[in-house]
Amino acid sequence: MKSKNIVKGMVYMMGLLFFTSSCKKLVEVDGPTTRISSEDIYSKDATAIGAVTNLYVSLGLGSLVATSELSSLSCIGGLSADELTLYLRANDPVLSTFYQNALTNANVAYWQATYNRLFQVNAAIESLSATKSLTPAVKQQLLGEARFMRAFYYFYMVNLYGDIPLLLTTDYTKNSIIAKSPKSQVYSQIISDLKEAQDLLADQYLKNDCIASYTIGSEERLRPTKWSASTLLARTYLFIQDWSNAELQSSIVIDHKELYGIESLDGAFLKNNREAIWQLQSVLQGNNTLDATVFLLPASGPSSRNPVYLSDDLIKSFEPNDKRVGAWINSVSVSGSKYDYPYKYKIPQTGTSASPVTEYRTVMRLAELFLIRAEARAEQNNLTDAISDIDVIRERAGLGLVRDQNPSVSRDELLNLILGERKRELFTEWGHRWLDLKRTGKVNEVMTIATPKKGNVLGWRNYQQYYPIPLWELNTNRNLTPTEGY
Amino acid sequence: MLAKAIVNGLLSTAKEASKTNDKMYSIYTKKTGIPIRLYHKILLVMRLTTVILIASLMQVSAATFGQRITMTQKNIPLKTVLRELTKQSGYGFFYDGKAIGDNQKVTVALSNAEFDEALKNVLTGLNLSYKIDGKIVSIRKIEEPSLLDNLIARFQAIDVSGRVVDADGRGLPGASVSVKGKGNKAVSTGTNGSFYLKGVNEDATLIISFIGYVTKEIKAAKELGDVVLELSTSKLDEVQVIAYGTTTQRLSTGNVTTIKADVIEKQPVNNPLLALQGRVPGLFIEQATGFAGTGVKVRIQGQNSMHSGNDPLYVINGVPFNSQLLPNGNSILGNSGTDGFLTQSPGNPLSFINPADIESIDVLKDADATAIYGSRAANGAILITTKRGKAGDTRVDLNLQSGWSKVPRKLDLMNRDQYLEMRREALKNDGIENPVPGPYGDNDLNGNWDATRDVDWQKELIGKTAGYQDLQGSVSGGNERTIFMIGSGYHRETNVFPGDFADQKVSLRFDINNTSANQKFKIQLSGAYLADKNELPNRDLTADAVSLVPLAPDLYTGSGKVNWSADESGASTFFNNPIRYLFNSFLSKTNNLTSSALLSYQLLPELAVKSSFGYNSLSANDIYKNRLESSSPEDLEYSSRNTTFTDTKMSSWSIEPQLTFNKNISKGKLEVLLGFTVLQRKSDQMGIFADGFSNDLVMDDILSAQTVHASSSINAVYKYNAIFSRINYNWENKYLINLSARRDGSSRFGAANQFHNFGSVAAAWIFSEEKFIKDNLGFLSFGKLRGSFGTLGNDQIGDYQFLSLYVPKPRSVPYQGLVTYEPSKLSNPFLQWEETKKWQFGLDLGFVKDRILLNMNYYANHSSNQLSFYTLPYATGFQNIIKNLDCTIRNSGWELMLSSNNVSSKHFTWSTSINFTVPKTILSAYPDFEKSTESTTALVGQSLGAFKVYHFMGVDPATGIYQFADKNGNPTSTPNDPTDRTVIIDPMPKFYGGLQNTIRYRSFQLDVLFSFTRQTGLDDILFGNNNYLPGQFNFGLGGQPAALSDRWRKPGDIATIQRYTSSADLNLPWANAATYSDAAWVDASYIRLKNVSLSYQLPDKLTKSVHLRNCNFFAQGQNLWTITGYKGLDPETKNSVSLPPLRVITIGVKVGL
Repeated sequence: MKSKNIVKGMVYMMGLLFFTSSCKKLVEVDGPTTRISSEDIYSKDATAIGAVTNLYVSLGLGSLVATSELSSLSCIGGLSADELTLYLRANDPVLSTFYQNALTNANVAYWQATYNRLFQVNAAIESLSATKSLTPAVKQQLLGEARFMRAFYYFYMVNLYGDIPLLLTTDYTKNSIIAKSPKSQVYSQIISDLKEAQDLLADQYLKNDCIASYTIGSEERLRPTKWSASTLLARTYLFIQDWSNAELQSSIVIDHKELYGIESLDGAFLKNNREAIWQLQSVLQGNNTLDATVFLLPASGPSSRNPVYLSDDLIKSFEPNDKRVGAWINSVSVSGSKYDYPYKYKIPQTGTSASPVTEYRTVMRLAELFLIRAEARAEQNNLTDAISDIDVIRERAGLGLVRDQNPSVSRDELLNLILGERKRELFTEWGHRWLDLKRTGKVNEVMTIATPKKGNVLGWRNYQQYYPIPLWELNTNRNLTPTEGY
Repeated sequence: MLAKAIVNGLLSTAKEASKTNDKMYSIYTKKTGIPIRLYHKILLVMRLTTVILIASLMQVSAATFGQRITMTQKNIPLKTVLRELTKQSGYGFFYDGKAIGDNQKVTVALSNAEFDEALKNVLTGLNLSYKIDGKIVSIRKIEEPSLLDNLIARFQAIDVSGRVVDADGRGLPGASVSVKGKGNKAVSTGTNGSFYLKGVNEDATLIISFIGYVTKEIKAAKELGDVVLELSTSKLDEVQVIAYGTTTQRLSTGNVTTIKADVIEKQPVNNPLLALQGRVPGLFIEQATGFAGTGVKVRIQGQNSMHSGNDPLYVINGVPFNSQLLPNGNSILGNSGTDGFLTQSPGNPLSFINPADIESIDVLKDADATAIYGSRAANGAILITTKRGKAGDTRVDLNLQSGWSKVPRKLDLMNRDQYLEMRREALKNDGIENPVPGPYGDNDLNGNWDATRDVDWQKELIGKTAGYQDLQGSVSGGNERTIFMIGSGYHRETNVFPGDFADQKVSLRFDINNTSANQKFKIQLSGAYLADKNELPNRDLTADAVSLVPLAPDLYTGSGKVNWSADESGASTFFNNPIRYLFNSFLSKTNNLTSSALLSYQLLPELAVKSSFGYNSLSANDIYKNRLESSSPEDLEYSSRNTTFTDTKMSSWSIEPQLTFNKNISKGKLEVLLGFTVLQRKSDQMGIFADGFSNDLVMDDILSAQTVHASSSINAVYKYNAIFSRINYNWENKYLINLSARRDGSSRFGAANQFHNFGSVAAAWIFSEEKFIKDNLGFLSFGKLRGSFGTLGNDQIGDYQFLSLYVPKPRSVPYQGLVTYEPSKLSNPFLQWEETKKWQFGLDLGFVKDRILLNMNYYANHSSNQLSFYTLPYATGFQNIIKNLDCTIRNSGWELMLSSNNVSSKHFTWSTSINFTVPKTILSAYPDFEKSTESTTALVGQSLGAFKVYHFMGVDPATGIYQFADKNGNPTSTPNDPTDRTVIIDPMPKFYGGLQNTIRYRSFQLDVLFSFTRQTGLDDILFGNNNYLPGQFNFGLGGQPAALSDRWRKPGDIATIQRYTSSADLNLPWANAATYSDAAWVDASYIRLKNVSLSYQLPDKLTKSVHLRNCNFFAQGQNLWTITGYKGLDPETKNSVSLPPLRVITIGVKVGL
């Protein structure tokens, strides 16, 4: 009787325990309130815009002397090419290897960060294509922006690394075993994304709701537009030597005079100037542009904080009365040495939040399109129109015009002049010089002289025009082959 | 007669009660609507109560039952008479057929006679004797005792009652009382220690035993009264706390090591974990830094998980405690061994537990001891039990100590002359003829600095003697039913840095225990609150101390400001003046509340129900102030005053109802435990960055900031529930079997994989209890063989890992006014439990009456389904994903512990204890390894910690730069990663342990502990101190160890160090490769005099004369002396850039009032 009851009691108790333990509620949790799940982020206009806008924030945040965000190409690309000199006493081992063209596969350079951004882009494209809960106009613009950004990242990656894995999804099982795609395939993807983007993107600068546009004249040129897509498309065609399309796409933007026009030299890097096609706003208090923070040398000269200045070679390439030397270049003398430094952005960083922001980092500007069109036209033997395009740039620089001084210039001479003008116009902007050297095939000729000057006793070797695919990547993706030469 | 009346009265009441039972309950049920189940339970309890009541009343001797007999018959058979007597009295008769024949007749005439009287009357003159025993009357012939007597003797049994108590007279519930010999009976004592054993032979011997007490044998008697058990002095009988219960080393089937308060309080440590160092086999403890509140890495039996948490489960008074703090604390404290994908969080949560509060720490290692904790104890468990009061007079205990601590060891660095020689040679090697002038040039050589200075920066920056104060007091006491203890402590440690940076702790705790008058209901409530205020700056100056150049300028200006050492033009030259970091302040205030309550009720002698309730809350408030004084004049325009406020809170509650059932079945004792756990933990953090304060005074006030934005946020909930059960059967303290099982659910996994089952089987054979051992191997006082197997899990992966989450990225100036979001990681909704299978075999031997004890363990743990940090190509967007990897880690090893009482006399005792562990952790299997993303980095079949490095081939005599063996063994200065990495390095410890001696002579006691570890470690200054190559100079940094003087100078030189250089350019790849070569990995083994404690107990006479209970003076030392071949600062932290564990010496007094 007694033990029977005990057993009975225990059975009741056990039953009770098992019943409650199968109660899932005790282990179910809602997501953390400080985070948003990937399903939710693209279901509301505001958060979807926030997710895409993060790409521009990142791009604008990158330090100029670190290789994560592509915007540091303004410095790193210049160091790799013959544009900038590194102050070796700054003892910066990483910058040294870029400067001396002595990279090893231990350096991840832009690879890691850019593929992370591409993940964000691909996630955005996947989610935006699937969602039905966004305002259609917002969805269209964001999809256009995402397509544009994918093209933007791949454009730089293919130019910096050569053949690269072309990823269009977020599926890590596929992405972790993907092989390299040839450059041509990457370029076709860039073109198709940009064409999509041209159709999807607004032709006005949009406010932060991605619906309303600014009134012309007071716009914030912070979000990519149809015109940004056309600019990148023009550049892409130029790079793959599709001259007629390069001309066509440049004209689309150049002819849109409602929004764009050539500014004065002093106005070309101010925020929201008429020459700017796409700019990035600083998200740091007391900061205008990160470019100025690094490039502007203090009276004490270069140091580990400001470790670069313009190369003699670049300075010497300017014609004597080029106004750009005065407007965009400044110098400081320390202990008898003169250091020239880029002065396109003029406002140094300040500790106080009160100082006004007057400059934005310019990603694309109209001058480049004149240079693209000049080159495309020259390549197509339309020298007259090419001259008129190059003269737009020379005129602003206060230089004698080609049509006055040398109207019968040969095609090759003109092309050389255009390349020189690109060097002098676009220096320390997004690595133009480094990319131009490579696409025009002049890289060996130029760097064979430049690299030893930079202190690399072993000299220049052809494979160094591409940054190496990082060792980490080769170790983790068995289908990936190293960048040739490394 | 009075007693009789009471008994009768009681009986009738009981009967009455049982008669009216049904009716009463039905009314009750209707009124209150009690569910049918509860109704049954109440009924059950009441019925059982009745039964018990009756049973207990049966003790009263039958002799006192008075039944009146009336009978008048002539010449009738005796047997008929006896039957009639039975009818009238209820007594039964037992007799032999030969004693009473069928034809034996008697005549009776009784009227209202007492039964006794009646019996006498009937049997007189018949040559028969009788005996009343209970309700049986046995009758036999007076003469001719025969074989029958033996049989009858069986029924001449008595009912034994008594109470088992301890030396203080408190009842010992659960003690075992059994009859010696074959076919014996056994019972357990009730809640107040009382027992009742029926039908025991009068000549029998009873064996009374209880955990932790010396077993006693006593002759049976009806009323034994109080049986006093003496506390056992054998280590084997010390109480060990295990999961949801207690045991002893003697009866344990698992691998548990216990450290008691007396050991803990001999060590001046600020974290109780540090008191375990070198004392527990299988437990590896490593201190990250020498700061108060340092990170402490704890590994029980190796590392079971590749990438997820490897921390043991901490349980304080039955309630789980955090094993890691949340991130964003003071980073110089170092972390507590977080690997892989878990956030690195500085410090250790056990720093907020007062070591003086602890009664015992039990380290649970094998599956048997831990499987009942299921998913959380794959890495073992550490159970902390706090002190409790004792019944008796109220006593006051004080323990006051004060001491000094110091960095125990200095690096041998270059002096001024050596340094200048190195620098000049470096410039010469680089082709620089004159030192670069100007503030940004070679300040050490260009005349800007006073080149005659020769400063020992280790003395200046980390050479101070820090203070140590620890004051503890407690009041305890109580009576048999209620005991209490309240205690309070104050602990203060200052720092070796210049300035006063103290860590102060104030703590308060209490413990109350109460038992109801009927001894059935017990409550235990305990709680502790500790407030810590740590002012440690967030810069470890050790790194600066070892790399400032000897001729660097003074740290302070005459007015106490940072000396930037302006040159003639007013430009700063000493940008790396480390003292500037001390102008920024870091204040960390932490409050820790741990509380628990245990309620239990003894439903039946065999069945108890209890429940524990726990609430812990650990909150921290960190304020980091960045002041303008820390910026050089050149940086001032870029600088602002800002403060980061971080509020962190981790709180958890848990409820664990349990049911225990103990019963003696056959010759053994069965214990069954059934329980249920609900646990919830919340982690919250909110960080605010406030910028632009106008002056230093207002930097605590967020309202005075110009701009404010969020800097961190955490909001996580962890939910966990489980049912568990344990069945333990102990056959005559000889054969033991222990089964445990648990079903766990955790919120850290996706919906499909939240639940999992875990369990263990263990058995032990105490062979020294066998007769043939006792007869033949007398010297062997104890011998036990045990083994266990079980599966355990690990869910230490952090919360929400299965969700794909976007993190808000707040900016001080939002882009277009927008809050932006970024994906934080790749998610994996299919995450499952990591599983560890643990095998364990152990042998415990005791020799010479347990004076020598030997424990040996062999363990083999296989962890599979690894919750892993699977590396991915960057192209996937991230470097890794958390995934269950199908690889296996095999953790095996030997543990040995030998304790011996070498000398034991009245005035002199000497005991020695040595422990030794040989661990081995191997990545044993990795299916499809070639296809995995880790095929180039992981080493299957090798130690888990192993990796490959280059083989160093010294300096190339031609070029003066380092060279390494390529994969073919040829020298190269540009080794290829990974193909030229050919040498395997394994930094995991090869063996570790400790040696302790305790000597007592009269009133003096001396304890000495050596701990030792054999391991390989990185020498981080061999190839450039703090990332500066020999010859480099950077605004004050660039000092080097003196050992680096054997360098290459000219072609043809054979040297160990490559040529000096002042620049970082092309030399770097080689210098860098050197740190990834086998030359950088050196022997970091050490033997450390970990602890010495000397105490003197004042003689009783003296203490009594000043009305003290006791008085004890002591001196203690920690980390006193280290023998090592390691060239860096400390072989335990294995680096030279963080503060090494300090040498602490204290003196103090312990007084009892």
